[in-house]
Amino acid sequence: MTRGRVALAGLVIVAALALAAAIAPALPIGSPTEISKDLALRGPTVAEPFGMDDLGRSVLSRVVHAYRISLGVAVTAALLALVIGGPLGLIAGYAEGVADQIIMRPLDVLMAFPAILLAIALMSVFGTGALLVSVALAVVYTPIVARVVRAAVVATKVEVYVDGARALGATAPRLVLAHILPNAAAPVLVQASVLMAIGILVEAALSFLGVGVRPPTPSLGLMLADGRGFMLQAPWMVVFPGVAIMLAVLGFNMLADGLRDWLDPQQTGGR
Amino acid sequence: MTPWVYAARRLLLAVPLLFGMSLLVFGLMRLVPGDPAVVVLGYKATPEGIRALREAFHLDEPVLAQYLRWLGGVARGDFGLDFRQNEPIGRMILDRLPVTLELTLLATVAAALIGIPLGLLGGGRRGGVADRAALAIGLVGISIPDFWLGIMLILAVSLGTGLLPSGGFVPMSEGPLDNLLHLVLPALTLAVSRAAVLGRLTRAAVLDVVQRGFVQVARAKGLAERAVLFRHVLPNAAIPIVTVLGLQTGYMLGGAIVVEMIFTLPGVGRMTLDAVLERNYPVVQSTVLVIGAMFMLVNLATDVLYGVIDPRVRRR
Repeated sequence: MTRGRVALAGLVIVAALALAAAIAPALPIGSPTEISKDLALRGPTVAEPFGMDDLGRSVLSRVVHAYRISLGVAVTAALLALVIGGPLGLIAGYAEGVADQIIMRPLDVLMAFPAILLAIALMSVFGTGALLVSVALAVVYTPIVARVVRAAVVATKVEVYVDGARALGATAPRLVLAHILPNAAAPVLVQASVLMAIGILVEAALSFLGVGVRPPTPSLGLMLADGRGFMLQAPWMVVFPGVAIMLAVLGFNMLADGLRDWLDPQQTGGR
Repeated sequence: MTPWVYAARRLLLAVPLLFGMSLLVFGLMRLVPGDPAVVVLGYKATPEGIRALREAFHLDEPVLAQYLRWLGGVARGDFGLDFRQNEPIGRMILDRLPVTLELTLLATVAAALIGIPLGLLGGGRRGGVADRAALAIGLVGISIPDFWLGIMLILAVSLGTGLLPSGGFVPMSEGPLDNLLHLVLPALTLAVSRAAVLGRLTRAAVLDVVQRGFVQVARAKGLAERAVLFRHVLPNAAIPIVTVLGLQTGYMLGGAIVVEMIFTLPGVGRMTLDAVLERNYPVVQSTVLVIGAMFMLVNLATDVLYGVIDPRVRRR
C-alpha cells in the first residue's frame, strides 16, 4: 500500500466516524441513555452487535454518541491551540530576539511536563466537563503549535523570495501573511492531525481516570472505566469502546503519516 | 564547543526552567476556587482544623511569601506535611518512587527490545513484506490506548490463563521473582506504544543512513548485507535511536500514572492521581513538580548525551 493510499484510508476512517457521530441521533441505533434493567449485561446479538452494558444501555449507541465528545473535544482543543499558539509562534519566529524569548521561554515550561500529567494537573484545578477538557488540552498543545509555526517562519524568512518581496517594498504584515505564513501551513496541517489523535487518546484517558467528562455523558473513557467492573461477565463492555478509541486514533495517525509524506517528500518514515 | 562546555551550558539552562515549573505548579494550585484549607479538609473540616491547616501552610501570608517558603522547603527536600495522612509528603514520595522508577526502567528495556528489531526489520529492506508489516504494526501500536491495553492484558492473561498477577506490588526485598512477575504486564502495557514510536523512528533512521555514500561504498566493495547493516548502518543510525529512547523514557513517567492505576501499583503516579481525586492540593503540587522535574532531567540527560556522541549537534 503506498503512502498516498494510507492517507486516503485514514481520511475515509476519520470522515466515516465524524459523519456517524454527527448524525448519531438520527441513526437506527437506539438511545445511548435509555435504561432497560432486563437487558442488563446481555451479550452481542444481531440487533445489538456490541451488547448491552450493566444498566441495559446499548453499547453500540453509546460508542457512536461518545464519538461526538471524543471528536468534539479533539477538534475544539486543536482549534484553540492553533488560534493561540499560531500567532505566538509567528511573532516569535518573525521578530526573534527579545520578543522570541518572552514568548517561547514560558511555553518551554509548559512543555517541560509530560502531556498527560499537565492535563491531569489542569483538570484538578478546572473541575470536570467536556469543554474544560478541551481547554486543558489546548494549554498542553499551544507550545507545540507555537514551536512548529516558529520553526517554519524562521526557516522561511531567510528565503530569497522573501528578501525580494521586502526589496520591492512589501510591508511586514504583507511579508508575513502572503510570503511566510503559507509555508507554515504544511507542517501545521500534519501537526493538527497528530494533535487530533493525541486529543482523542488524552480525553479518553482523563475520563477513564475520573478527571475528564462527567457521567452520564457517553464518553469512551468513561465507558471503559464502567466496564472494568464487569469485564469477566461482560467483556464487550471493555472491548468495543477500546477498539473505538483505537480506530479513531489510527485514522488520524494514518492521515498524519500520509500528509507528512505528501507535503514533505524528503522525509521518509514516521516520527 | 567541547562536550563538557556543551553539557554545562545545557545544565545551566535547566535552572530557569525548573524555576518556571515550580512557579507554574504553585500558581496553578492557587487558582483552585474557594479556601484551600476547606477544600483540602473536605467534609472533615472543623474551625480548629481549618485554623491549624491555614497556620501550617501559612495561608495567611502574602502569596509571594508562601511561594518562597514552599520553594525553600522543596530545595531542601522538604515538601511539607500531608494533612490527610499526617505524614511528610517528601517521605511519601520517596517511598513510592522506587516502584515508578522500576516500572519505567523495565518498560524502557521492553520498548527497546521490541521497537528496535521492528524498525531494523522494516528499514533493512524497504517496501518488502517485512517492511509493510512493520509499518502496519507501528501504526497500530502508536494508536492503542495504553489504559485499554492494560485492561485487555488483565482480561486475557491474568484472568484468562492465571499465569501472571493482575495487580499489586511485591517489593524486591520480599522476593525478586515475585517482584518481576507483578511488573511484567504493567511494563508491557507501558512499553507497547513507546516501542511502536521507537520502531518507526529506527526504520526512518536506517532508511536515512542506507542512502548515504559510505553505505554504497561498503556494498560496492562486496561486503555482505549483514555486515553492511551491523558495521556501517546501525552505528550511524544509533544516535537518533538512543535519543528517542531517552525521550520515550521521559514520556513513560507520564504514562505510569495510568498504568499504576490499572495495576494498583503503589507508585508516585498513583499517588498523584489519588491526590487529584481527593483534591489534596499540597500533595498534587509536590508530585506534579517531582514527576515534571524527572521528565525534564531525563530529556536533558538525553540531550546532553546526544551532544556528547554527535559533534554535529554541538555546533548548532
